[in-house]
Formats: sequence, C-alpha cells, structure tokens
Amino acid sequence: MTPRWTATGLSQDLPKGVVMAGHWQGHDLAVWRSATGRLQAWNDRCPHRGMRLSHGFVRGETLACIYHGWVYGAEGGCKHIPAHPALTPPATITVTAFACVEQDGVIWVAPADMAGSPPAVSGVQPLRSVSLTCDLAAVLAVEPALLGQDILRGTVQIDGQGHDVCLLVQNNPAGLTLHALCGVRANKVAASHWVENLRRRAEMKVAA
Amino acid sequence: MIAQEVLNEWYPVAMAAQIRAGQRRVTQLLGQPITVELQKGAIVVTGQGGALHVTEAYGHVWACPGTPAHDLFPIPEALEPCRRLVDVGVVRVKCSPLRAVENFLDIAHFPFVHTDVLGAEPHTEVNRYEVQIREDSDEVWATKVTFYQPQAAKSAEGGIVTQYMYRVAAPTAAVLYKTCPNRTDAWDVIGIFVQPLTEELCDVWPWMALYDDVTPQAELIAFQQMIFLQDRSILENQIPRLLPLDPGMEIPTQADLTSIAYRRWLKKRGLTYGAQMVAA
Ligand code: FES
Ligand SMILES: [Fe+2]
Repeated sequence: MTPRWTATGLSQDLPKGVVMAGHWQGHDLAVWRSATGRLQAWNDRCPHRGMRLSHGFVRGETLACIYHGWVYGAEGGCKHIPAHPALTPPATITVTAFACVEQDGVIWVAPADMAGSPPAVSGVQPLRSVSLTCDLAAVLAVEPALLGQDILRGTVQIDGQGHDVCLLVQNNPAGLTLHALCGVRANKVAASHWVENLRRRAEMKVAA
Repeated sequence: MIAQEVLNEWYPVAMAAQIRAGQRRVTQLLGQPITVELQKGAIVVTGQGGALHVTEAYGHVWACPGTPAHDLFPIPEALEPCRRLVDVGVVRVKCSPLRAVENFLDIAHFPFVHTDVLGAEPHTEVNRYEVQIREDSDEVWATKVTFYQPQAAKSAEGGIVTQYMYRVAAPTAAVLYKTCPNRTDAWDVIGIFVQPLTEELCDVWPWMALYDDVTPQAELIAFQQMIFLQDRSILENQIPRLLPLDPGMEIPTQADLTSIAYRRWLKKRGLTYGAQMVAA
C-alpha cells in the first residue's frame, strides 16, 4: 500500500493538554496537543513495558506514560524516568513519531518521511467524527450521492434541502471511522443528525 | 502443544469456600475446559482427560494438569493464628497471566496508577534493592525494597516508608510481604494467585493474611479490589498481550530487577505459557 495521509480526528475534539487514540493504516497512534498547542502523533506504545501512550497524560510540552510516568518530549525522546530521577535517559529510548498536521480543522497523519501536504477539503466546516461497525461499501450503498474512496463528497438532503457534505474515511482495527464536514450554510445540529442517521442506516444494511 | 514443564505446575482454579458451599465452577485452565465441584465431600477438578491433581490451600483450590513437579509452595504465615485471612474474590483480566504477575512485582507504578494511595509524586524514586533466585526453593525473591506511600494499607494513617519483600512462588502466583502499619515485628502478607484461562486471559485472585482486627472485612476487600481494578486498566492496554521474554522488545531499568529475574526464571524453566519468545 502506498503511504498516504489519513484523517485521524477533528481539531475541535483535541484541546490543548489532551491525548487521544489515533490510527494510521493499522498502526495505533497516540495523538496529543501540548500546553502551547503543538500537535504530535506517536506510535501508541511506551518502549518501557508496552503501555499505550494514548492512556498517558500531557504535562506542558511533554507526554507521560500512565504506567511508570516516563516522560517523552519533542520528537519522541525520553526525557525523564521517575524511578531514577537523577538519571539522564539514554538517547536511544524514543517513541516513533509520525507526521501530523492540521488543515481545514482536520488532524492528518502519515509516516514521518511523508512528502507533501494532506489533500485540501475546502468549502466545508468540521462537524463530527463517527465510528461504524460496518464497512465503506455499506455506507456507499445507502447514500449513493456520496462519491470517492478516501474522501467521500456529495450533495445530500438535510432538513429537506440539498447540502454539501464531505466524509473523510479512516479504516482502523475496530472498524470504520468517518470524519464529517458539511457546507458552511448547513445547520450543524441537523447535519449532525444526518451523520448519525447515516451510521444507523449503513449498519442496518449489513445486519439485514 | 503445551510444554510438560507448564503442565506439571500448580494453578489456582477456584475459591475453596464457594466449592465447599456446593457451587460448581465451569472454567478453563491453559485453554482446556475444566469443572471444579464437590463430589462426596471432596473437591474434584475434571478436565477432558479425566481428573486433575488437586490440593486446597490459602482459601483456594489448586490443580495440576500434568504430574506435579513438586508440592504447592508453602506460605508459613497463613498458619499463624492471629492473622486474618481475606479472600478478595476474582477479577477477570484480558492479559497474559504472566503480565499480571509481573505487574504485582512492580513498585515503580505506584505513584501513577495507585496515586495518593500506594504512591504519590514527587516520591517516585525506586532505591536499589536485592534480587536473587533462591536455589533451595527455586523461587525469585526481591528484598530490601522500600517505597514512600501516602496510605500503605487500609489501617495506615498518613504517609510512611514501607518496606517490601517480593516472592515468585509459582509461575502464576506471587506473594509480597510489607511493613505492617499496626506491628513493627511482623509483615502483612498479600498474594496474587493467577488462573491462566488462556495465554491472553486470566482470572486473578488477590489474597491477604493481615494483622488487622479492626477494619471491617468488606472495607479490606474493597480497598484491595480498588487497587487491583486500577492495575487492570494497565494490564489490558499493554502491547503485546503476551509477556515478551526476548530482551530486545522492552527497556528495563534498575527498578525492574524483579521483573528481569522473573522473566529469566520463566525462560530457564521453560514456563512459557503466556510468553512471547521472539519479537513479533
Ligand atoms: S510502560 Fe510506560 S513508563 Fe513503564
Ligand atoms: Fe499495582
């Protein structure tokens, strides 16, 4: 598979000082925003004893593991081992960092050496993310107006009016996540219901 | 194929009082279905190939699916008359049984996982302690372990520096001895007995033998359960689920000497059920 940018969340869902779980093509990630707002995405595994870093906590410009509190700073280097406060951790202790950029209110991830920028999604505003237990084919089957593969786009009926929507596709181990954006004139509450409805219809399609 | 060394060990499979009260426990051991029940006044464990070796100790029923390589390990303190023996009950954990034991041997996580109870920042330092594999009993022991604790036990008031000794007595059973807040001349004894249901799923039975005749039983149990549920949130989120015995997979420090010795001991004895041998 050729490496490509994957949407792993919406900017609005990741405030400063927060870490969340993310995914890039089967790799689990810890995506976090520092106190000053710096965004990073790392392999979701602490090198010490394998704990998920997405369960950790942000302190200032660092992310700490929840198990033994090892502290990781910029680019994933280990800065502090609380069990040995006087020790300077060897430079070899690092977490693998991924490329992570924010664009159009969307958080995109890719391997660190990825060239170029994520695809632009213009004319739409971030709405919400939704996880589905079905696959993409079911979504396309219940909403034929949506076209595309990684980015679904089309005009759909919301509250009896045609509105532009954009769904960014993220495949993760547990199923499918869609990051939804909608036309700037659409009512966000109504559009959010439409997304929820789409999820229900697509999942029912599979169950039927 | 499960190694003979693994089959010849003792594993906890039930709480004895529950079976004695007439309950029947249908469960698994090393991936095989087993039944624990009372037959004509005796506790019997039956697997697909017939009856397993059984012994009863420390409030639990222990079974050996092969030919026991030795007797079940002793806990002499369990026989001391003034101690209160407390069965905490069972906690199901989606992790390797070996990871559950290793976590029990670890103190460096106290300030972060059991915050303000068994540890608190900035008291995070783990001082050097001693670890040995005792030749006579073939057990892993860690001694001279000390740690600052805000509330070391249900009966402790305020912070104290607690002394610990740790002991791996069987592949999936460990016992710790810690400073008793009520008596200077004795240790509280806490065990965890882990039933390997499969390589990635276990039932954990904490058990205590304490000098504490004040705290109500329900509070002692609730305290220990709270601690263990905090541990479970860690254990179910370690990657990989299996315990890596390959030294390249994880990065131990001096604070992890007990875990290093435990992993070596498992490897040397071929007790690799729940372990990952090569980096995946
Ligand atoms: S597993 Fe992350 S600090 Fe120990
Ligand atoms: Fe713990």
